[in-house]
Amino acid sequence: MSLLAPFNKLPTLNTASILLVESEEQFQQSLAVALVEEMTVTVNVRLARSLPLPLENDESRPRIDLVVFIINLTSDLSFRSAKASLKYLDPGYFLGKVCFMATNARHASVHTGLLDAVRQLAVSLHCPLLFAEDQTPEDVKSSARRLLTILKVASGLVPNTSALFLSNLTRCTMPLDIDQPSFD
Amino acid sequence: MGSVLLSSDWLIRPRPERRFVLKFSVASASAKPNKSRSLVDVLGLNLPSGNMDDPAKFLLRRLVRRIPAQMLKATLEKWGRLNAEQRESLNFSQSKWALTQELEALCEESRLTVKHIAELEMIYITENPNQMMWHAFQLLDPEDGALAVELMQFKELFKCHLRELVRNVSVKIKKHTDEAVWIRMSWGEGFSRLSHLNATYVVHYLQTPYVFVSGLSPKNKPLLLQVLTLSTKHERIKDANLSGRKLTAIRDLLLRQYEHVFPTKYPSPLTERNQSVSNLHTEKEQAEASAKRHQMAGQAFGNGVLPALQSAVYKLETKFKDPTNQTMTEQDEPFRCVVKFSSTNLLESLRHCASSGIASTPVAPLLSSIPLKGRNYFVITDKSPSANS
Repeated sequence: MSLLAPFNKLPTLNTASILLVESEEQFQQSLAVALVEEMTVTVNVRLARSLPLPLENDESRPRIDLVVFIINLTSDLSFRSAKASLKYLDPGYFLGKVCFMATNARHASVHTGLLDAVRQLAVSLHCPLLFAEDQTPEDVKSSARRLLTILKVASGLVPNTSALFLSNLTRCTMPLDIDQPSFD
Repeated sequence: MGSVLLSSDWLIRPRPERRFVLKFSVASASAKPNKSRSLVDVLGLNLPSGNMDDPAKFLLRRLVRRIPAQMLKATLEKWGRLNAEQRESLNFSQSKWALTQELEALCEESRLTVKHIAELEMIYITENPNQMMWHAFQLLDPEDGALAVELMQFKELFKCHLRELVRNVSVKIKKHTDEAVWIRMSWGEGFSRLSHLNATYVVHYLQTPYVFVSGLSPKNKPLLLQVLTLSTKHERIKDANLSGRKLTAIRDLLLRQYEHVFPTKYPSPLTERNQSVSNLHTEKEQAEASAKRHQMAGQAFGNGVLPALQSAVYKLETKFKDPTNQTMTEQDEPFRCVVKFSSTNLLESLRHCASSGIASTPVAPLLSSIPLKGRNYFVITDKSPSANS
C-alpha cells in the first residue's frame, strides 16, 4: 500500500499543487481549468478518480499540498469511493491538508442520510467541508476561488499562518441537531 | 398455391369451410343496408345515404384526439380527401370536440367511409411512428428470388396469400419515402365486421430480412407471419426479440445503421495532444486507465450516435446461488426474476456507465450483446452461460 505523504518531497518556489479526487470525473475537469487561471502563484492540478495513485507517476508528481475529495450528494457511489480512498492518505494530511467538497446539495434527489454521513465524515477527520455547485461557470469560478484560499495557506504561501492553524478555524463542526432528538 | 409448394409443418392451410362461413356473413350483411358501407364501396355502388356509420365516427373522433392540434392541418392536407374549400372552412383554433363535429359533417358531405378515415390514420402513423410499440421479426432461409422481390410483386403476393387464409380483413399497402413498405391491416372477428379501431401496422424494408409489426393480436400473429414469410420468399420467420417505441431506433439497430468500432488489440493511432496553457499544469493521474475504459466502451457500443433504444429486459431463470442463504440455494426450482433497464437512450447510458467506470470494463457480454445481436429481450437459463432464448 503506497501512502501519499505530504512532506516527502521538496516544495517548488511559488507553486501550489492540488489533487482533486472525484469518482465521476465531471466537476474536477472544469474546476481544474478554473484553478490554473490563478496568476499570483503557479497552480499544479492533479486529477484522480480514486486513491491510491499509480506508482509510475510518482516521479513526475509534485508535492501535493491539498487533497480535495469531491462528493456528489446525489450519488452514493461517489461517497463510498471517497471513503475508500481516504485510507491511502498519510495521517499528516489530516492536519489541515484535506478538504471535502460536496456538490449538488440543492438537487431534489439528494438523500438526506448521505448529507449527514458526509458531515460526520468531515467532522471525524477534522476537515473542512465546502458546498459547491457545478452547473454554471460562475459556480465553478467561486468554488475554485474558495479552494485557492485554502490551497495557498496549505502550501505555505501565506505568511504568518499554517494549514493546521487554518483547519482549526475552518473544520466542519457537528451541528447540534444531528445526533440529539429535538424536544418538540 | 404457395402454401402447397412449401409444405412445412407450421403452415396454416386455407380451410374451405371457413371461406364458406365468411361468404355467408357477407351475404347476410348485404341484407342490412345500414351495416354494409364497406361492401357498398367494394361494389362501387353509389347509394344516396349521407350518414357515416359508427365505426367511421369512432375512428375519426379517436384520430382527431390523437393528432396534436398543430399537426392536424398538415395531416388533413396530405390526406387529400377533403377539397381545398372544405379544408378552408374548418376553424383550427376552436376546441377539438367542435372541430370533430365539423369534420364529421364534412366527411358525410363527401361521403367518406371508414376506409378513407383509415387512410388518414395511416398517414398520421407513417409520419409519427413513435406512438406505438413495435416488435421486430427476422426472416430466415431466403429462397432464390428473395432478393429480387420488388414492391408490386410483394403487394400482389401479400394480398394473394392473405386472401387464401382469411377473408375478413382489409389491407392497405403504401410505400413510404424512405424505401419502407407500410401495411395497415384491420381484422374482422368471425362474423363481425372489420374492427378498424385496432389496426395492425407492418413495416418492411424490401430486400432486408426484418419486419416491424405493431398492434398485432396473438390470434392473428400466425396468419400474418405466414403471409409475410411467403410474400417475401423466405422459409422461416422468428421473433427478433427486439421491441420498442422508436421505430427508427429499432431499424437502425437491426440494419446496423450506426457507427461501429471493431475490436483491435492495437492501441488507437496517436492523436495530437492539445497542449494549451491550462493543461500544462493539469495532469490526470489515472489517464491510462480512463483511456482504456473509453476504448473498451467504444468497442462495445461504438463511438458515434447510438439508436435511441428505450429498454432492455433480462429474464433470469437461473438457480439461486448464495452461500449464506442455504434454504434458497437448496431449492431445485430456478429463481425467476426479471431485470429491466430503461432510459431515454439506453445504449448511450450504458456506454457512459462503462466509460465513466460505474460499470466494470470490459463490458459484460449481456450488455454488449444488445447492439451486437440487435435484441433487447433475453432469457438467461442455467444450461448455457451465454444468453439464449
